[in-house]
Amino acid sequence: MVKTSTAIQINNLSFAYGAKQVLHDVSLEIPARQVTAFIGPSGCGKSTLLRCFNRINDRIPGAKLTAGSILVHDIDINRTDIDLQELRRRIGMVFQKYNPFAKSIYDNVAFSLRAAGRTKRSVLDGIVENALKNAALWDEVKSRLHASAFGLSGGQQQRLCIARAIANQPEILLMDEPCAALDPLATLKIEELLSELKKQYTIIIVTHNLAQATRCSDNTAFMYLGKVIEYGSTMQLFENPKEPQTEAYVTGKFG
Amino acid sequence: MFNPENLIRKGLPKGHFKDLVVRFVLAGLTYVVVLIAALLFAKIIMDGAPVLFKAKAPFVDFEFLTAKNETLHVFDDAQGNRHQLPASRYNDYLAKYEGAPIFNEQTYSYSGGGIAGPIVGTALLTIGSMVLALFFGVAAAIYLSEYAKQSPFIHAIRLAILNLAGIPSIVFGLFGFSVFVLAVPVITPTPSDRSLLTIPLHINHYVMSFQGWNSSLMAGCATLACMILPVIITASEESLRAVPQGFRDASLAMGATRWQTIRKCVLPFSLPGILTSSLLAITRVAGETAPIMFTAAVAAKDDLPWQGLKSPFDILSSQVQALPYHIYTLAARIPSSEYTRRAQYGSVFVFLLLVASLSVGSMILRAKLRSKLKW
Amino acid sequence: MSPEENPSDLAPHRFQKRGFSYERAIKYFFASNAGLTIVILALIIIFLLKEGLGFFPGYQRELQVYRIAGLEFVDISRKNLTAHEQLTSVLNRAYYAEINGRCIKQMRRSQEASALFNAYTDQTGPTRDLVLNNSQAASSPNSEMLKNLKANYEQQKAKALASLTATPHLTQMERRDLIESVRSRAVNDTDDPLFVTTLAEEFTAAQHKQAEPLQALRSTIDSFSSAGSELSSLVSEMTESVIATKEKIQGADILEKDRKTLLAAASGAKDPVEREKLMTEARTSLADKPDVEGPIQLLLEHRPDCIKAHTALRDASTRIIGQLPSSLTQLEAARLLKAARHSWPFFIADLEKTPAAINAWKPDAPVPLTDSISSFLTGKDWVTGGEWQDFYGILPLAAGSLMISIVALVLAIPTGIGAAVYVNQFASPWEQSVVKPIIEFIQAIPSVVLGFIGILVFGTVLRDISLWDSLQWIPGFPLEERLNIFTAGCLLALMSIPTIFSLAEDAINNVPSAYAEASEALGASQVQTTFRVVIPAAFSGILAAVLLGFGRVIGETMVVLLVAGNRIKIPDFTAGLGTFFQPCHTLTGIIAQELGEVPMGSVHYRALFVVGILLFAVVLTINATAHRFVNKMKH
Repeated sequence: MVKTSTAIQINNLSFAYGAKQVLHDVSLEIPARQVTAFIGPSGCGKSTLLRCFNRINDRIPGAKLTAGSILVHDIDINRTDIDLQELRRRIGMVFQKYNPFAKSIYDNVAFSLRAAGRTKRSVLDGIVENALKNAALWDEVKSRLHASAFGLSGGQQQRLCIARAIANQPEILLMDEPCAALDPLATLKIEELLSELKKQYTIIIVTHNLAQATRCSDNTAFMYLGKVIEYGSTMQLFENPKEPQTEAYVTGKFG
Repeated sequence: MFNPENLIRKGLPKGHFKDLVVRFVLAGLTYVVVLIAALLFAKIIMDGAPVLFKAKAPFVDFEFLTAKNETLHVFDDAQGNRHQLPASRYNDYLAKYEGAPIFNEQTYSYSGGGIAGPIVGTALLTIGSMVLALFFGVAAAIYLSEYAKQSPFIHAIRLAILNLAGIPSIVFGLFGFSVFVLAVPVITPTPSDRSLLTIPLHINHYVMSFQGWNSSLMAGCATLACMILPVIITASEESLRAVPQGFRDASLAMGATRWQTIRKCVLPFSLPGILTSSLLAITRVAGETAPIMFTAAVAAKDDLPWQGLKSPFDILSSQVQALPYHIYTLAARIPSSEYTRRAQYGSVFVFLLLVASLSVGSMILRAKLRSKLKW
Repeated sequence: MSPEENPSDLAPHRFQKRGFSYERAIKYFFASNAGLTIVILALIIIFLLKEGLGFFPGYQRELQVYRIAGLEFVDISRKNLTAHEQLTSVLNRAYYAEINGRCIKQMRRSQEASALFNAYTDQTGPTRDLVLNNSQAASSPNSEMLKNLKANYEQQKAKALASLTATPHLTQMERRDLIESVRSRAVNDTDDPLFVTTLAEEFTAAQHKQAEPLQALRSTIDSFSSAGSELSSLVSEMTESVIATKEKIQGADILEKDRKTLLAAASGAKDPVEREKLMTEARTSLADKPDVEGPIQLLLEHRPDCIKAHTALRDASTRIIGQLPSSLTQLEAARLLKAARHSWPFFIADLEKTPAAINAWKPDAPVPLTDSISSFLTGKDWVTGGEWQDFYGILPLAAGSLMISIVALVLAIPTGIGAAVYVNQFASPWEQSVVKPIIEFIQAIPSVVLGFIGILVFGTVLRDISLWDSLQWIPGFPLEERLNIFTAGCLLALMSIPTIFSLAEDAINNVPSAYAEASEALGASQVQTTFRVVIPAAFSGILAAVLLGFGRVIGETMVVLLVAGNRIKIPDFTAGLGTFFQPCHTLTGIIAQELGEVPMGSVHYRALFVVGILLFAVVLTINATAHRFVNKMKH
């Protein structure tokens, strides 16, 4: 495992939806400027863990942290005086199903900036262009920035969502199975994009696709039944797993 | 560049005040509506409950519910006592104290006695129209949910249902008046002058005459049934569609015919849902005034609906009093005074109690149904 | 048992369908029931048209009679006369408002004192009459009874005195004295208390005093008033003659109709003798063609007089406007004067146009069918059952319906949508479970109950509120009419809030939660998410909710029938926002009110059906638009 500075440190985290305990005593250190993948069978809690990082789980009634803490660059994000909006601006998120707003392409990308109170058109123009370029979408949409986002193909819509998430120059980018709803070609494009993005951002990606994890990630955490079974560099985890469960999973014996 | 310390806010969150104002305004709008509704009910209950309920056993003033509606006579006798008597008892009084002087006599139409006539009339109208509407409506819903495929015919039916549901009730009144009161066929030996068309039947001089049913219970029921039909169809279709497709597939796969499937595997499971939503339809039927104004309702009637009839079927062709129309009469045609308040608020209270119990009943049933029927 | 199970029924093949089966019969039975909806809709349309379309030819004939009998000619002058009378009345009101405003203190005091005394007599009157009646019948030896009555009276008196109205403009002392004087009155004293008469006299004296400096205004108004007398007598003279002509024509019309019925009966009669009899009867009843030429010629001879009267009136009016003061000191008086000055030029312009109109009028100009249609759609008068001429102009009713809808929607849209947004986006689950059923329950309240509340409670409360001194800045306050556009609009708002609320709530609820999630993940606050993402996404659904609410409001009958005030007149828009406090009548209300009273088949009866057709068309258009928005949202 390549050790650089730590972006997110998770200490003994337990998390529950109402009475249902979803995460048990999870501890992880996620390094900055690398791609970290969470793998594991459905319902193992990997998405929940991801959604804890920007506290989007707060939206779900009954969801609560029962123990432990999450430190983002040494700041406990569950403190009461956290600026939730600022936190989410610093930690972007891309969802499983691409979900652009029913607005124009431009307005989609500018959304988070406007929500943050930055409305000056000249500033926005530059940032929007930049974000779209970073998401490798600029050339495809520059002629129709003010057309509805729904006119794009699935892969384009997902890249728009990525552009939307990075428009605010976040520190960390959370991706919840970003290619699950896409065809192989679109998936390839997103993966190419990931390798570009990791130069600038700390990326955490949840994926079902083991091949994708090996292709894109530097580190991988294998989760099962709400626990982190094994965590290490991707190469080591796939080629030389320490735990029998990990081995069974990566060799396709279950999952 | 990114400074983690920025994640910690200083003081209140940005835009906190604006958020609070927005929430406060929206909450205010919501609770204003709730408050107005509460005030409205409080007013009716405070003025109406004393009419129906009493402090002494049996606690309910059954006379108000069971007596006929009459004119109220208010007068002073020679001792200076004030009497309030409905017309029939007033006549008894006059007969008993013949020649005794009466002072300051005032009469108030519709304000004496009880509201048995309107209650029974509304019950008859509701039952009649619901029977008709449920029969035709559920049958139509079965066709739409079980048989129908995409076709111009189905499209036309759906369009018709949608449009029927939007027609204002007063237009249904016009429709009922021009069709059921004036134009539908009757079989009679003596056709009326205004009959649109008479067809001789060659049986004892009987002819089929398109002259309508006059303003009558029948005409009112038919009008109300037409009005409520789209509601019943839509609700029933929803209940039928809520039955899982698997039930039908299983039944058909075992060789049952479509009708057997519907009868045994679909209807029994959707019946509770259909009945629940028809309770809600009842509140609408019972509450409508405009469609029955010209088709069935009459402001004053001396007899209760079943009195003075030659045969039980005559009830169908007689006019009835109805609670909503009675309330309209009480509100529009008589002045408000201390002697009319009892009739006015009492009637409204009873009516609202009726409607409220029906709709609360349907809400509870619906909630029960949801928790019970989960597939 | 279905035929398939019958073993004796040998079929070519077990799976092959046989001709007619129960199954198919059942299917057709259900299909026919579903088809019933189409039949009902078709019947509604056919019968509305059947009863309604006859209106236009009928109305055309009425308009024809209106013209050939000369009523139209008289109306040219009559219109100006009415305008003149209205102006006079406005000026008079301004005059009295000025005087009373200047001695407002005396007026209030006098009014309060007499209101107090009247409240007392209203309550004690009946028992007092009893005492008087019985004591007059002196022969009655029943002193016991008299004693009872007197005790009763005293009791009533004490009760009345305890519940007297407030008198803010009388001093404590004066009030107490007044009450004392009332208390110590003899039973048979019928005069007003001295204090009441004194105040009344003081008020009259003050009025006289204030009238003095306004003498010039008074004489100006009087001269304006008398300037119309020549035209007035001319109009009433002409009126008599044209009405006689109209009656003759109508009589002839009726005879002609009867004759046609007889002829129809004759052609249908089988017995030749019977037929001959009917034919003769028809022939004898052939009406003389009524003489319209003569009376019209007589009428047209009035032309020069009419023109002369108009010119005179115009000259007088032009002169008088110069003599009116530019403003008055009292607020109400100044407003009335301004209104009069405002409409004055229009009045004069009308007068100027009149001579040309009088000369151009022709009794034999044709009345095409389109005239009856345009007169119905754009007519400003709905006048029925009058002696003069019936007009079926839809505008006053449409204006009433529209104004009420505006009030209702202005109140209901923000409330309904706001509540929907709050309940769906911000309220706790507990709040949701309380608020939703309550708002939905409002929907179950029958409209007649709301109308009842409006007429017995809300109207009175609103008028009492409008009397508060602190609210006098609101235009239209204090209310002249208890039942008006605003009261009806408020109640209809209450009716349409649940509709708008539940549909808008549905629309908001149908917005995928992924949108809100994405928005919050991008750092938007909950309020930002709601207003920038959720509401725009639900917009067409919310618009549909508003439209369906509008459809409900405009089609509602009982509330407007009870609460709108039922005055058939286009609201007077010069009152500004105060217009909303005027009474009106509506499309739905007019049907409900008049259908029961009109003779079947008459033009008036058919007019009501045309109103129904119009309502039907309008509401269906609104609903269709709404459903298009709903469908748009689904995709």
